[in-house]
Amino acid sequence: METTIERIKEKSLKDRAIDFIQKEVPDHMYSFSYCMGATPLILFLVAAATGILMTFYYIPFSERAYESVRAITSEVYLGWFIRGLHKISINLMIFTLFLHLVRVFVTRAYKTQGELKWLIGTMLFFTILAMGFTGYSLVYDQVSYWGMTVVMNMAEEMPLFGPPLAYLLRGGAEVSELTLLRLYDLHTKLLPLLLILLIGSHIIAITVLGFEKVEGSEGKHLFYPEHAMKVGLIAVGLLILIVNLVMIFPPTIGQMANPLEVASNVAPPWYFSAVYKWITIAPRQPALFGILLFCVVFVSYPYIDRFLTERGFDMGRVNIVIGSAAVLIFAILTLWNVVI
Amino acid sequence: MGVINDNISRRKFLSSAFMAVGLGFGLGTLGLRFLQFLSPTVKAKRFEEILVGTVNELSKSDAMPMEIAGSKILFLKTDAGLVAFSRKCTDLGCLVGWDKAKQQFICPCHQGVYDRNGKNIAGPPPRPLDRFPVITKGENIYVKIKA
Repeated sequence: METTIERIKEKSLKDRAIDFIQKEVPDHMYSFSYCMGATPLILFLVAAATGILMTFYYIPFSERAYESVRAITSEVYLGWFIRGLHKISINLMIFTLFLHLVRVFVTRAYKTQGELKWLIGTMLFFTILAMGFTGYSLVYDQVSYWGMTVVMNMAEEMPLFGPPLAYLLRGGAEVSELTLLRLYDLHTKLLPLLLILLIGSHIIAITVLGFEKVEGSEGKHLFYPEHAMKVGLIAVGLLILIVNLVMIFPPTIGQMANPLEVASNVAPPWYFSAVYKWITIAPRQPALFGILLFCVVFVSYPYIDRFLTERGFDMGRVNIVIGSAAVLIFAILTLWNVVI
Repeated sequence: MGVINDNISRRKFLSSAFMAVGLGFGLGTLGLRFLQFLSPTVKAKRFEEILVGTVNELSKSDAMPMEIAGSKILFLKTDAGLVAFSRKCTDLGCLVGWDKAKQQFICPCHQGVYDRNGKNIAGPPPRPLDRFPVITKGENIYVKIKA
């Protein structure tokens, strides 16, 4: 008799797993703009799967790298499709990450209790941009080679940690075959590990700290099945979108890297276009200082927000103004780069 | 009766702190060694005079690019005679090219422009192009470069 009751009390593994994920989420999560964080996660899974597949063909050696990417794109069965999925999912990932960031910023979802979510989120943002940079460097075309050269020299110009960091990344004073191997290691080993740790801690921080209250959203619904189903729907929609985009924009490859001649156009992918235009139009030291200052303000924004709120600023409005201005400047610099 | 120091919590704290400092020091040293492993050793370079050609060969065209001991160089006849310019843009290290029609050095990366004397005249470059000393001994032209 006793043992039966004990057995009923003792939950099965499946029940415990359900209890673990079974949390209530606020009703404003029904709105698409409030659950855009899940979108980059789904895209990350696509990028990770296709990235692992490509490591079976890619050769991280400067004399053969370009040829191996060309072979993946035009010789390996379905290679163009796998590379296309990888490329498109990363571009969409960075795009949705920008949207998620703007939404969090404008609704001030980073307010007290939520600072940790913001801090981990900003680290994730920089890591993903680093993944983007190391990723397109591996193609080893003209954009890759001169991009590497410029970025390493920019790192070298940064104060204090700049020169040793640039030296470590390059594996010497100049870009060499060691540089490509290092970027390959970063792209396929260290940065993915960091990314997985950061994504994990971002999600844990969200489950522990909960969500910022949104006006007019009182009710709650269950994470499973309601919210999980919605995320599943987004995933299916995204897959259809990515596959279509790969068909419409199959991956291409530029001219092979030539250390003796710069191509006339070595502009980086769209997500770095704004920074690229910025360092082209502004004098060197102020330009780099501006980037550094932007990063510091960006990371510490929750604390700046608290500081200004205590002094009577209406940060809701201030954020809408700053957010709109930032999006506008980013768009202008990006389009300026495309047009000219 | 002697004094018995039975303040266990303090003793425990001191011993833990001592251990923590030791552990931190050990791991820190190991980390430093790992970073040293990742920094390749540099071969010491010293200035050498390298023969690049004769006066006749270098007079054939007014701009002649070449690569000497890993440095990309462009020989150009300027107002002050033959000059060996480094093609490394002083901005962020791209390669400048010689635009014969405009008589300017152009860096395609961030639109830096230098005039025919290597002076930065437009765009982000902060200083003129670097030069290597050119030495003429009889008919032969040498360039002094770190190799």
